[in-house]
Parts: sequence; C-alpha cells; structure tokens
Amino acid sequence: MSSDDSITSESEESTYTESQVIMTTVRVVAPFSLTYGLFLTFHGSGSPGGSFQGGAIMAATVLMIAFAFGIEPTREWLRNRTVVALAAGGTATFTLVGLIPVLYGRRFLEHRFYEDQFHIKTKWGLEAIEVGGVAPIVAGVITGLFFLIAAGLFDAEEVSEDE
Amino acid sequence: MTPFEAALFVFVLATALTTAFLRDVLGVIVVFAAYSLGMALFYAFLLAPDVAMTEAAIGAGVTTLLLLLTLVKTVRETEGPRFERPNLPALLIMGGLLVALVLTIGDFPALGEAFDSKGWVWRNPAVTQYYIENAYEDTGVTNAVTAVLAGYRGFDTFGEAVVVFSAGIASLLVLKREVFTRE
Repeated sequence: MSSDDSITSESEESTYTESQVIMTTVRVVAPFSLTYGLFLTFHGSGSPGGSFQGGAIMAATVLMIAFAFGIEPTREWLRNRTVVALAAGGTATFTLVGLIPVLYGRRFLEHRFYEDQFHIKTKWGLEAIEVGGVAPIVAGVITGLFFLIAAGLFDAEEVSEDE
Repeated sequence: MTPFEAALFVFVLATALTTAFLRDVLGVIVVFAAYSLGMALFYAFLLAPDVAMTEAAIGAGVTTLLLLLTLVKTVRETEGPRFERPNLPALLIMGGLLVALVLTIGDFPALGEAFDSKGWVWRNPAVTQYYIENAYEDTGVTNAVTAVLAGYRGFDTFGEAVVVFSAGIASLLVLKREVFTRE
C-alpha cells in the first residue's frame, strides 16, 4: 500500500515519502479520532459539539491517513463514489426531511408535523438533519476538496494509467 | 489570568506575528497550524468547545494540509532574507483595525457573566432568553446549540448545507478534474 509506485513519478518524487514515525502515529491516533468524530455526530443533541464538528473530525482522520500512507492509495481505498454519495446523500436527506411536511400541506422543515402525523418526536427530526444531513455533507466536501487539490499533483495521463 | 492562559496568549501572539512576517512559505504554514492549535485551546478556555473543535480540525488540520498540497505545486524560494519587510500602508490599516477592535472589548460582558455592562443578556435578550427557557420543551434535545441550529434555525442550516455542497461541486467544475467520476 505504502510502496505504491503509481503515486510517484520522476518529477514528483518528493510528493510522498514513507515515514515510520508518521505512519505509526497515525495508525494509533486514527481509530480514536474516528470514534470521537462518530461520537460527536451521534451525541450532538446532548453534549458539546455536533454533526459539523463530527463530520469535520471524521474527514480530518481520512486526510491524516492519506497524509501518512499516500494520497492515491487512500483515494482508491475510499472510492470517489463514496465521497460524492456522502455529500449528495446528505443534501438529499436534509431536503427530504424538510419537504415531507410540505407534501402534507405544512411548512418546510416543520418538525412538529412528524409528531402530529407519525408520533415521531421532534428530537429525531433534529437527529435526522444532523446525522443524515450536515455530517455527511461536511465530511464528503472536505474529503472531496482534498482529493481534488491533490489530484493536480499527478499528470492527467498518469492518473488514467494507474486505473 | 492564570500563568497557563498568559503563556497561551503570548504563544498565539508570537505565532500570529511570525506568520505575518516570516518569508519562507513552508515555515509560515507550519507556524500558522501552531497558531490555529493555540486558538483552539483559547476557545476551549472561553467555554466554546464547538468552536474549539472546529478550529482544531479545520483550522489546524484540513487547512494546513490543503495549503501544503498547494505548496508542493509551487517553487519554494530559499534565497533572500528570513523575514518579510513590513508594508507601511498595510501596517497602518491593520493598526487602525486593531485599535477599533480593542475599543469594543469594553462592551462585552466579563468571562462567565451572563450580563453585559448595560444589563442585557448579550445583545438579543428576547431571542436568547427564549431559546434558553424553551429549547428543551420545544425540541427535546439538551444541547441548546443543536436545538437552535437544527430546530429553530433549521432553514438557515439548510441554506448553509446547500452552500457547502454547491461550493464543493463548483470547485470540482472550476478545477475541471475528473476526481469524482472515475473509480
């Protein structure tokens, strides 16, 4: 994984250098920071933090792994489809939660509607927005932006070759 | 002010000034990350854990990595003086801004006090007081910030989420990379 030749070319040999210290540190820290990100996302309604912070920390974990083990292998492991699905799915979930009350003639994002109609507590409406909407959007866009900027490091031809 | 807070203040000030005057861009990025981490600790001390987490993750982590990636594509200048010569007009403008900002400090309530010098709960007593008193009853969540963001101000949050999503898509289109479409 770390010795993947496709990430280095003659002109960009300095882009990725294997470092035992960084790799070991990231291997130890990553499980904790990913768990913390998930914790913040799912406990945003009862403790400090929330889905934005949780999504950002989860994305930062992915960036950290990419920094330690090479960007290209991480991108192949994560799949670009996952990144787009996160960002687009989050926006779609948020929109859906907002639009369902409108279909029943209520107002956009009217949380109380869910309690009246389906006996779903308002708390769960907020959780749906936070966990299903904001966190995936933030995580997806940050990771996507990172891969997007990193993609410029490799030539277009080189990128298509290693598929 | 405890010794730790004083040390943190000096650290943040020193890293901020170094960021402004250091000439080597790689050094600036590293010092700027240290500055962000110092600010994150500061926010934690000011009882704003949400902001502290965001600053630590995005300010110190993501921004630093994005800047480093961008720097790889440029040429690093190693010759020349170590520090940038300060630009006088810019220095005057920033000095004026600093004075204006420092003058507003007196209007803020002291740390840990709910009321400012005019006896108000911050600047918006009607709204803030309503949220504090009714958030749990209305939404059922104990974190009032979440109640405001996802409940009372859900439409604003929806707008922000859409802006973040559109900004991501827009940068994709502008940079014209096929990152997302290929597997």
